[in-house]
Amino acid sequence: MYRLSKLRFGFPIGLLIMLLLDGSLSHIFSSQMFNYPTVMVSHLVVLWLVTAVLYEENVTMPLGRWAIVAGAIFDLYYTGIFGIYIFIFPLIVYVTRIMVTYISPNFLSGLLIYFIDITLVEGLGFLASRVVHMTVISGSSFLVNTLGPTLALNLALYVILYFPIRWVYNWLN
Amino acid sequence: MQKFSFNRRLVIIIVCLIVSFALMTVSVVIRNKRSTPPLIQQFGNDIVGLADRVVALPANGLSGSVSSVSELLNTYQENQQLKKQVSELAQTKVRDQTLAKENKQLKQQVKLNDSLTDYTAISAAVITRTPSSWQNQVVINKGSSAGVQKNMPVMSGSGLIGRVAEVNKTNSKVELITDNNDSANRFAVQITTKSGTTVNGVLSGYKSATGQITMNNITTKAKIHKGDKVVTSGLGGVTPKGLYVGKVAETGGDDYGLSTKLYITPATDLTDLNIVTVAVTKQ
Repeated sequence: MYRLSKLRFGFPIGLLIMLLLDGSLSHIFSSQMFNYPTVMVSHLVVLWLVTAVLYEENVTMPLGRWAIVAGAIFDLYYTGIFGIYIFIFPLIVYVTRIMVTYISPNFLSGLLIYFIDITLVEGLGFLASRVVHMTVISGSSFLVNTLGPTLALNLALYVILYFPIRWVYNWLN
Repeated sequence: MQKFSFNRRLVIIIVCLIVSFALMTVSVVIRNKRSTPPLIQQFGNDIVGLADRVVALPANGLSGSVSSVSELLNTYQENQQLKKQVSELAQTKVRDQTLAKENKQLKQQVKLNDSLTDYTAISAAVITRTPSSWQNQVVINKGSSAGVQKNMPVMSGSGLIGRVAEVNKTNSKVELITDNNDSANRFAVQITTKSGTTVNGVLSGYKSATGQITMNNITTKAKIHKGDKVVTSGLGGVTPKGLYVGKVAETGGDDYGLSTKLYITPATDLTDLNIVTVAVTKQ
């Protein structure tokens, strides 16, 4: 019962906090995360959205709509280039929902799903940035300097935050 | 005859792609041309900025207390080193004051009100950083209501760190000089060499492997030494003259052997920004 549960308000508030924490983490740990040329980008918003799909068993949440809202805020507030993450975030929700129908979600299969999702987010973000000339780096250095470290950081964050986030969802539900 | 059937999913994907490309192009154009973003975007950014302060305040406070503990450990060594510098600084400061006073009097005599070196400073705190590897941007907590305008240079510590890329009412985005994109503003800079000649040039990009800024378009044959100081020249725009950029680390020829290319070590650590200063020139 999505309408009656605390998730109705709890989910978007959590989404916004995760979105803003991404920026705060990047700011506070900028000397570690943006240690050029290697760059690690935290994607806590994606973690929040993906775990919502994983824990979504008998309640269906309008995740696609909230993903669009999160993408719009991300584009306007963080990057200033509208039209990239507003499409990527809903796509991630869609892809994750398809994958969940094939693989029953648990901690380890969730790790696999999250791996694919982060690769998609970073890959599509890179392609879009190349198209509008925000970056000029080559595909191979993207793989080595951005995708690799980003995957490492985000999978570590998944392992650390999987159970706390599940506890939050259970409390909200 | 079989009816021609559309694959609905394919149509949706293509429409999404087209809309995405259109939106990206429009926003890039708006960002480069207009001084402020559209009203709706400004309004949204202000509200999100407000919410962000609620999240950023405890986060930054926590990191501040952690770093102050770690800083306490090497305070003694630092103190000894700094004492030496302070005694030298006092001398420089007094001389600076005298020169500034003399400069003011001389300007009055020739009835020169504002020259290229005059600017007022707005200090601002960094709220957050763009979590993206393609855009090196930070969001600061001062906007158009405090007098910040697009393209103003931003400094931190002792040196130039970037320029204002987008201005909202209560916050604005600063694009750092480490940003390598095509539309990033290139600062006009100059070097006064040891022999006294002034060399003009333009900052052209960032070499991420070594963490150095590159400077291009130098056509003079003047000898530039390692360690020469690079400052903004104040030519062509809102940047005042004399903002410190960094020191020359390496000189070399460009790809075609026609001009000299310099590598500059930036004066400030560009990954550790907390308080920044926006330089406002009177125009």
